[in-house]
Amino acid sequence: MKTGKELKPGTVIRLENDPWLVQKAEFTKSGRNSAIMKTKLKNLLTGYKTEIVYSADDKLDDVILDRKEATLSFISGDTYTFMDTTDYTMYELNAEDIEAVLPFVEEGMTDVCEAIFFEERLVSVELPTTIVRQVDYTEGSARGDTSGKVMKPAKLKNGTELSVADFIEIGDMIEIDTREGGSYKGRAKN
Amino acid sequence: MKATWDIFCTVVDNYGDIGVTWRLARQLVAEHPCTVRLWVDDLRAFERLCPSIEVNAARQWQQGVEVCHWSAEWQTTAAADVVIAAFACQLPTAYMEAMAAREKTPLWLNLDYLSAEDWTAGCHGLPSVKHQHVQKYFFFPGFQAGTGGLLREAGLLAQRRLFQQNPLAQREFLQGLGVAPTAGARLISLFAYENAGLASWLDAMAADSKPTHLLVPEGRILPDVQRWLGVDELSVGAVQVRDALTVQVLPFVRQDDYDRLLWSCDFNAVRGEDSFVRAQWAGRPLLWHIYQQEDDVHLDKLEAFLTLYTEGLSASAKAALSGLWRAWNAGQDMAGHWLAVQENWPELTEHAEAWCLEQASRADLAATLVQFYLNWI
Repeated sequence: MKTGKELKPGTVIRLENDPWLVQKAEFTKSGRNSAIMKTKLKNLLTGYKTEIVYSADDKLDDVILDRKEATLSFISGDTYTFMDTTDYTMYELNAEDIEAVLPFVEEGMTDVCEAIFFEERLVSVELPTTIVRQVDYTEGSARGDTSGKVMKPAKLKNGTELSVADFIEIGDMIEIDTREGGSYKGRAKN
Repeated sequence: MKATWDIFCTVVDNYGDIGVTWRLARQLVAEHPCTVRLWVDDLRAFERLCPSIEVNAARQWQQGVEVCHWSAEWQTTAAADVVIAAFACQLPTAYMEAMAAREKTPLWLNLDYLSAEDWTAGCHGLPSVKHQHVQKYFFFPGFQAGTGGLLREAGLLAQRRLFQQNPLAQREFLQGLGVAPTAGARLISLFAYENAGLASWLDAMAADSKPTHLLVPEGRILPDVQRWLGVDELSVGAVQVRDALTVQVLPFVRQDDYDRLLWSCDFNAVRGEDSFVRAQWAGRPLLWHIYQQEDDVHLDKLEAFLTLYTEGLSASAKAALSGLWRAWNAGQDMAGHWLAVQENWPELTEHAEAWCLEQASRADLAATLVQFYLNWI
């Protein structure tokens, strides 16, 4: 059993006997102290997609899934091929299946991901909580701030934009927390 | 045949829950082909807004609405065509069973909180959980296209304009509350939660060259006012003068009278959700004390509204108003910001009316609810 608040991309829930993959989950505090989770779901049997809003405390049947370690092998158009690190089996996913982590998926990445299987079929991939990426472009430091509190926009190699500390420069390696949409964590240690 | 509507309201704190649901229930009955039952768990809180409520009655009729006491021991009752759970309240299990047992499936809506944030339009009208085959939908009020709009009764703005154009009607109304406005004074209403910034605002108004008559309906801000005045007691009707500032305590009034109070004032400090919306329909500059939430998420909501509301204002007026609102919601010093607001007064007054008209050009919340139901059946 999972609550609405616990839903995240890669979770599979059972609705009226059908398994539904959570492709995207956006948590928002609405009013007073209540909260909602807006989800984008895909029916794993029919491929039908829908959006559903859950209250944070709604209770949902989750499906126990198999998980294996996998790495990105290559990208071809909208198809992302991952390789099982133990038996080298190749699995394909399309961009929509990994929408939530897509901003941090890039060619050549070496992160060991968690591949999520439903009835032996790869349905989604989760990135490690912390990943390292190179800053492809950012403006120079405006204020010479070294505290890390002043932020500025930056772009990764795959075009993803995020806020980074003011002292980060082009070519720097940064740590990103991939939870809740992904956010800058700090400069990567050498 | 009229559609039947059940609106469920749990009074968690203050008067926002019952204020919104009571207003909605009345409007549905008055303007749409609806029969409405309003289920309320706390009739004493309701009585403050509607003094004719019989607090011990299990069922009663008020202004065309069947008001039912939502007691802990639920009595079996048939479910309505449309069921609204206001502010994510949990319906009685037996009632949900009754919903599922209906031959014609009811429309089940969660009427959520008001927010100016962008995500509300993305979540508005989306399905949620099911109870057996009965699907719940989220319904979000809001300020932008794609949301459910704001509560606004038909003819409200016309009534307001007539009232504001009629000094005699205003004088008579204020006299009824025991208010004789200080000559040449700026009239301000103050309805807010406890606020550490109040003293600095009152200091500024007392030191002002222009007199201010501050009307304070009974509520949570009163102890802060009392502390600033340095008096032991501040009961309804009390009038205290400190230099240019006259402070007067008003009784907690019915919703219709509160509207007239807002219409009578040059500036309104409001709080929460219901009075906040009503102040916008008054077409006068306002100050919003937002309901405080965990992790300060209310500040995001404040900023989201300010972004919308201040669009079109000059940089000076925008900075003045935003500064005042931020200071008020942080309990900070208000003096400088209040001065800045006064310097931009004509523009802010004009803008308040323009904002009101812009919002009034959208469908109101009751109408969007009815339309949602018609589209759904």
